[in-house]
Amino acid sequence: MTTPTLDIDNLVIRYRAGLFAVRPKPAVNGASFRLAKGETLGIVGESGSGKTSLLRAILRLLPAESGQIRLDGQDWLALRGSALRRERQKIGVVLQNPFLSLSPRLTIADILAEPILAQGGRHGAAMRKKIAGLLSDCGLPADFLDRRASELSGGQAQRVAIARALALEPSLLILDEPTSALDVSVQAQILNLLSDLKESRGLSMLFVTHNLKVVAHVSDALLVMRHGDVIEFGRTKEVIGAPADPYTRELLSYGRREKLVEHELAPG
Amino acid sequence: MPLLDIRNLSVSIPTTEGDVHAVRAVSLEIERGEIHGVIGESGCGKTMTGMAALGLAPKGARIVADRFHFDGEDLREHAVRLRGRRIGMIAQDPAAALNPVLSIATQMDDVIRAHRDLPHRARRAEAIDLLASTGLSDPERVLRGYPHQLSGGMQQRVVIAQALATGADFLIADEPTTALDVSVGAQVLALLRKLVTERGLTVLMITHDMDVIAEACDRATVLYAGRSVETGPVDAVLQSPGHPYTRALLAALPDAAPLGARLAAIEGSIPPPRSAIAGCAFATRCPQALHECAVTPPPERSRAVHRWLCHLPEDAA
Repeated sequence: MTTPTLDIDNLVIRYRAGLFAVRPKPAVNGASFRLAKGETLGIVGESGSGKTSLLRAILRLLPAESGQIRLDGQDWLALRGSALRRERQKIGVVLQNPFLSLSPRLTIADILAEPILAQGGRHGAAMRKKIAGLLSDCGLPADFLDRRASELSGGQAQRVAIARALALEPSLLILDEPTSALDVSVQAQILNLLSDLKESRGLSMLFVTHNLKVVAHVSDALLVMRHGDVIEFGRTKEVIGAPADPYTRELLSYGRREKLVEHELAPG
Repeated sequence: MPLLDIRNLSVSIPTTEGDVHAVRAVSLEIERGEIHGVIGESGCGKTMTGMAALGLAPKGARIVADRFHFDGEDLREHAVRLRGRRIGMIAQDPAAALNPVLSIATQMDDVIRAHRDLPHRARRAEAIDLLASTGLSDPERVLRGYPHQLSGGMQQRVVIAQALATGADFLIADEPTTALDVSVGAQVLALLRKLVTERGLTVLMITHDMDVIAEACDRATVLYAGRSVETGPVDAVLQSPGHPYTRALLAALPDAAPLGARLAAIEGSIPPPRSAIAGCAFATRCPQALHECAVTPPPERSRAVHRWLCHLPEDAA
């Protein structure tokens, strides 16, 4: 069996409430799952379910209390200092709002060059070729290189953000609500782009969203979180076809009319 | 007579680079006691239509319409007076709609005092009643609290209670569930439905989310590039859409395609807001466009009360 891209075992993340405060319930309560190479794992949950804490721990932006994270077989939580900095290029990140994650002052060419420069790359013909390649892989024409983010539509800006995330050829791409700020027709374009990239680059992806329909469409496997617990983890087809947890069933049912009567006003 | 009767509304905003046509030709007929969804993508004019009805269009905006009436009164003259008396507003982000430094009690009382001449004790009782009617289980505790102590769903209920406190019978809800989790959003939609039934409210629901339309609305109007292109009962619009844009929009949803298959994205982009449009605004992106689509405005097609604007004959829909 090949090494999974991401292998997480019994991960616990807890925020400290203060020196003498009662220890709060962990934000992530013993999560265990695997992401196979070249697959997409969808993570679904409401606000406060722990999905963002989980992502931040994988990015090493948040310490884990206990448990293990392996990225391409490597003990990810053991990395420190410059080794961590070097290895971190294995993960690319795309966030919800591209206009907040792209600098308004830089041209698109500068934005795409930045991660390469940060990892010791040099300006030159090779860099220009690489950047042009990234842009065309993400479905944008080369004349966008001289533009700035403010001249782009939401969908175009998100394509630039994806191109930047791919600049260092990561083995794992983390997408945090990548289409929630976009219109339906643009969302479809971005989802298609992601499935093309997955195909052509053999990318592994973590796709986080609160929209179960979107995530079900793009994911090979699904992880449902609630109040810090992983309540469901399985192949997408199985989870959608036969959700084991009532909460998953409820999530799947929104947007269907007959729900309204049944779903009368649980108190706020 | 419809409660809100808009025919051929246009709102243009003059700028140094020419007029921005935020709304080009929107017609809306909203009957009493219905939840009417207005659906469209960014830049289609849905929010500006709502703002114009509230008398909140930007300064200098030119509002032209064949008819722009609320309950028989012309909104071009009376919108400011009707706002906060007959017409209320529910914004997208309840945290931004509430004042973070004032208690809920103060914020509820401000609204009630502005509209009703009641002694303090009666106003407080009224505030408790209103909060309870929005499904908040412990209104007295909510009154003592501040916005940051409430969840997003509770905040949105307080905003709805404030809108009710004005005595408004018509609410304009602009993406009321977009900032909320799906399950909480569904509860807020159920609450609006309940208020419509119990209090005879009428709601204009502005959204970009087809699920919201399917879940909460009676009728829907589809906007594209500042024009209303299709209107009818929700089931008709969603099950057998007449306009190619509505069809394309529904086909782009992940639920329309088998798991993992490519989605039917709509190629191209909306016409720039400053440009003039001769024929159908969707002509350049429409897979079925005919020669005349780009040249002449499309005629109205209909199946009973379901109407849309398209050159294609009705049986092509």
